[in-house]
Amino acid sequence: MTATLTPARSRTGSRAESGQLTGTVAMVRLALRRDRIKLPIWLIAITALVPRFYYAAVSAVVPTPEALANASQMIRASFMRVLAGPLFGDVTTRSYFLAAYWVEFLLAAAIMNMLLVTRHTRAEEQTGRAELIRAAAVGRQAQLAAALIVSLIGNAVLALLTAAATISIGFPVGSGLLFGASLAAAGLVFAGVTAVTAQVTELTRGAGGLAGIVLVAAWLLRGAGAMQGQEGGPLFWLSPIGWSQQTRVLAGERWWPLGLSAVLAGLLIAGAYSLASRRDLGASLVTPRPGPASAPSWLRSPFALALRLQQGSIVGWGAAFLAIGLVLGAMTGGMEQTDLPIFSADADFGRAWISLMVFTGSLYTGVFAVLAVIRLRTEEVRGRVAPVLAGPTGRSTWYWSSLLVTALAVAALLAVYGAALGAGAALSTGDPGFVGEVTRASLLRVPEALVLLALPAALLGLAPRAMSVAWAVLVYSGFIQILAPNLGLPGWLTNTSVLSHIPWHPLGSFAPVATVVLTVLAAVLATLGLYGLRRRDLVTG
Amino acid sequence: MTSAIAVSGLVKAYGPARALDGLDLTVNTGEVHGFLGPNGAGKSTTIRVLLGMVRATSGSARLLGGDPWADAVALHRRLAYVPGDVELWPNLTGGEAIDVLGRLRGGLDGRRRNELIERFELDPRKKARTYSKGNRQKVALVAALSADVELLILDEPTSGLDPLMEAVFQQVVGEAKAAGRTILLSSHILSEVETLADRITIIRDGKAVESGTLAQLRHLTRTTVAADTATPVTGLERLPGIHDAKVEGASVRFGVDAEHLDAAIRHLTRFGITSLVSHPPTLEELMLRHYERKEAA
Repeated sequence: MTATLTPARSRTGSRAESGQLTGTVAMVRLALRRDRIKLPIWLIAITALVPRFYYAAVSAVVPTPEALANASQMIRASFMRVLAGPLFGDVTTRSYFLAAYWVEFLLAAAIMNMLLVTRHTRAEEQTGRAELIRAAAVGRQAQLAAALIVSLIGNAVLALLTAAATISIGFPVGSGLLFGASLAAAGLVFAGVTAVTAQVTELTRGAGGLAGIVLVAAWLLRGAGAMQGQEGGPLFWLSPIGWSQQTRVLAGERWWPLGLSAVLAGLLIAGAYSLASRRDLGASLVTPRPGPASAPSWLRSPFALALRLQQGSIVGWGAAFLAIGLVLGAMTGGMEQTDLPIFSADADFGRAWISLMVFTGSLYTGVFAVLAVIRLRTEEVRGRVAPVLAGPTGRSTWYWSSLLVTALAVAALLAVYGAALGAGAALSTGDPGFVGEVTRASLLRVPEALVLLALPAALLGLAPRAMSVAWAVLVYSGFIQILAPNLGLPGWLTNTSVLSHIPWHPLGSFAPVATVVLTVLAAVLATLGLYGLRRRDLVTG
Repeated sequence: MTSAIAVSGLVKAYGPARALDGLDLTVNTGEVHGFLGPNGAGKSTTIRVLLGMVRATSGSARLLGGDPWADAVALHRRLAYVPGDVELWPNLTGGEAIDVLGRLRGGLDGRRRNELIERFELDPRKKARTYSKGNRQKVALVAALSADVELLILDEPTSGLDPLMEAVFQQVVGEAKAAGRTILLSSHILSEVETLADRITIIRDGKAVESGTLAQLRHLTRTTVAADTATPVTGLERLPGIHDAKVEGASVRFGVDAEHLDAAIRHLTRFGITSLVSHPPTLEELMLRHYERKEAA
């Protein structure tokens, strides 16, 4: 060392120089700075849903005691318990609010944490930013620790905000805090799950996808457990989402089920650390196999390229649809017979349940379609479209090829989902007629999904910065349609939902006018998108 | 302590593939060391081992007298790193990113930082998502070069920089060297390191194939000469140290060993040189020469 150099000294002098966690505080600050917009939006959005849902529930059940009784009876029906409930204790507007929407809050908290943890762990490694960070005086475990600390902070704030919101709608203070804590607990468990999956796969999407599979499994277990009994059977107790609900807010409250969540989160985090300390930066437990050295002979047109680029996502969604369809279909046989006004059009409850599930499949297919089109924008922004368009491929060919692949995938996914749902129903009821009937019912919903596909496509051309509006429309349409029957919404309001025009019961009803109108609307929106795309500047690199 | 980096017999295996296969590399304190090799030779893997991001399968590596894996954090306070492909946080400005990277290392020299931002003509107020590749590279360079460290590890640091900025980079690295810093400069372009490097190590397939001063390496190889002459050149093949001579009318092109360059040019002048171009051996030629010698042996 020469005299001209003054060696840099640690600012955190007392800390062990080679600590695995050195730099964690700075990493937390960096993460909070990066998330200064994203995290508050998540927290405020989830909190705002409390009064939003509560007043929706109030308007549904306050008018008359009969309305409250009817709504509660519906939520207690076995097939609704899969999605909502359980309804603990006495029926009031507040307990109804919890029964109807608690699961949604728990899912939202889980997803917030999954995105947060992948964003600050695997995504950093995949982009190579982690390499810049780790070349500084930052310990090997500091990034993971920082991600988990930020998640802890986010969950604590979420607990306090949602507690305040529930207290503002009339919950006792203790109940509000317990409700908030139940969301934070589910959030922490899924932060832990994602911390583990981030060690397992090399790509961010893989880490998020694996955590998503765990979330769906937890949700399905909770649903299956809910069918086992009014207040949740043994399977309910196998799901972290179930633990949060077993705190029985407003009806015999108890904090101890959250202890299960804390223990599981602790174990998962310990597991993630142990895995992380065994691997190289950027490496993963599952190493990707080498791919083919040359392109297959079919990969020679813009359409084939679009298919190749979307192939992984289509196959993944198809597998998920197959599994979820089978599981949901298999629940048909166990449905209890309940007298419910909203399903009076259906002869039996099995078919009422299937109708609801076919509709849910359409909603998920909408999610797939919106994601697929938003990915086109990502392709453009990352500069991956420019080399294609610099060749003899025109904008309109690129655009239609990409949309056609997604449209065909939408139809295929609905067919797979319908067939799986029908097969599950046929197996559990012994009625083979379900397979064809449910597949047909599912395919009848293709025009809806096409509109949900064409809307972001229109935005891609006309207002690419506003593509997330497509999410808002999807969520709005889903809510309106799910709420419509028990809110008694006026017809004009219901009609503003994309998902309200193809009837969902009786099973397999065909509405020719709606089918034609939706298909034409999709075509018009998609054409408008091309109109915009041909006139605007492309973003390159 | 005379060697800042001492690597011997380093192996890094990914399954059956060996990214490093018994690499030796010594970088003396205070020198600029060019680390050359074609794409995929193992330069970046070596650097990742030195930075403690990847654990070597076998062999030994010492960095500033410490163990790059076990002492990573302590060592990283004494070095700065610039990767060849810089990714930044899209919603932070370039200036913020420079400060974050500097502070994580234990602080940077603010005056030096601002001076470098000016010299590299970087706008630090722009969000990183709007930066071109060259500008992202400048952010990492400013953060690294304004740090008060003993060792700079630069992995193809000028990719994406225009020639003017490359000149600024060369000046700044020269200043760092004058200030006594040790610099490991990896590249696949010989011309980039030849003006700066005291010594060079060439690697291929995870092994060092040559190591020494540029003059020593050049001595092993040959210069390419292309000339136009008034009358066709004859008798070239009788001269010693001439290779691959091609005469086409008034044009001649040949390779010549360094010690025979003088004689070859004297010979050409007899035919009336109208234009003369000569260029030093490229990295590829150094590599080819290496393999020729190996086959001959």
